[in-house]
Amino acid sequence: MTATQNGDKAAGNVLLSEVGLWLERYFRRRVPPHSIDDLVQDVLIAFYTKRGTWDSTRPFLPWLAAIARYRWVDHLRKVYKHDSKELMEDDAAEDSAEEVVLARVSLDRLFGQLPDKQSKVIEMVKIDGLSIREAAEKTGQSESLVKVNIHRGLKKLASLVEKAD
Amino acid sequence: MVDYSNREELIAALTEDLTPVKRVKPRDGALLIAFAAVIASVASIAVYEWWSGLLTGQASGYFLITHGLLLVLGIASTAAVVSSVQPQVGARGSAPYWGAAMLAALPIGAVLSLLSGEGNHAHEGLNDPVAFMCTTASLSAALLVGIAGVLWLRRGAPVSIERSSWLLGLAAGSLGTLAYGITCPLDTFSHVGLWHVAPVAIATVVSRFVVPPLIRW
Repeated sequence: MTATQNGDKAAGNVLLSEVGLWLERYFRRRVPPHSIDDLVQDVLIAFYTKRGTWDSTRPFLPWLAAIARYRWVDHLRKVYKHDSKELMEDDAAEDSAEEVVLARVSLDRLFGQLPDKQSKVIEMVKIDGLSIREAAEKTGQSESLVKVNIHRGLKKLASLVEKAD
Repeated sequence: MVDYSNREELIAALTEDLTPVKRVKPRDGALLIAFAAVIASVASIAVYEWWSGLLTGQASGYFLITHGLLLVLGIASTAAVVSSVQPQVGARGSAPYWGAAMLAALPIGAVLSLLSGEGNHAHEGLNDPVAFMCTTASLSAALLVGIAGVLWLRRGAPVSIERSSWLLGLAAGSLGTLAYGITCPLDTFSHVGLWHVAPVAIATVVSRFVVPPLIRW
């Protein structure tokens, strides 16, 4: 990394390739497969533009992991905003099966930190692809309450990810 | 940024463009913020004049304690915010928050002191005629420090945007208030305890909402 900071192209090429492989493993358990390559490329660009912020007296991997996590959270934030907008526009049911936004984002551990009523409806609508109405019927919640619980649950999930170190 | 169809192309392009890079050192950020605080102090003195009582022993203990706490909080939060441009994981220091908590004891004490006074002291304390001027002048100085902080954060890679924004608000608010405070000849507990602390709270809250979009990368 020091050589890369000094402009050594050969070292930079090797490091970028290795970083790419590490990131691929890092994101494999965090994002849907079709998003992995985009995120890896996104982080590689961030790695390149922010390479001056690595302190040579500190270990390299925690620095890289912090950047990867930041870009992942940013990705989640964008997804969350998009998703939240859909819910407010009342058309989540049509798109939910395609979006499956947070469904594959290492949810098991995070779901444990949400209230049951929130995790249950997120799972039904965002993972199983049920409509808001179907989820409302299954859980006994009103349709508005299902929307509110999905909205709050997703917001809390994003915040949990952001706060976790 | 050009859109690359695959990772190999991207890596090849980044390698081709690779040049030596200047290291981002927290010390440079601290110097930038300190410089902005000095400029803010000089500007305050130019506009409001230096209060000589500060050095002649006229200043009350309350005045010295309040501004001493502002200095300590300013240093602690500046140290934390300039370090936040280097991505890292793990435990983070909480010194700025404890510093802010100590400073918060002052307005609480000032209010209690006003309430426990006889007559309409509380009313007078809250209707301080120069309160508005002290608050706005401190916030103007804080703005200068805050701009320097934002420029620094944009150079680096803060990975906890909210935390950096809170910290920058604390640093700018405390150093800005200190920069103006040295020109203020009012040194009663109720004045400094309320109106030389309120700008810190205002700057911190404003920073939390204004700074994130400016430093997101």
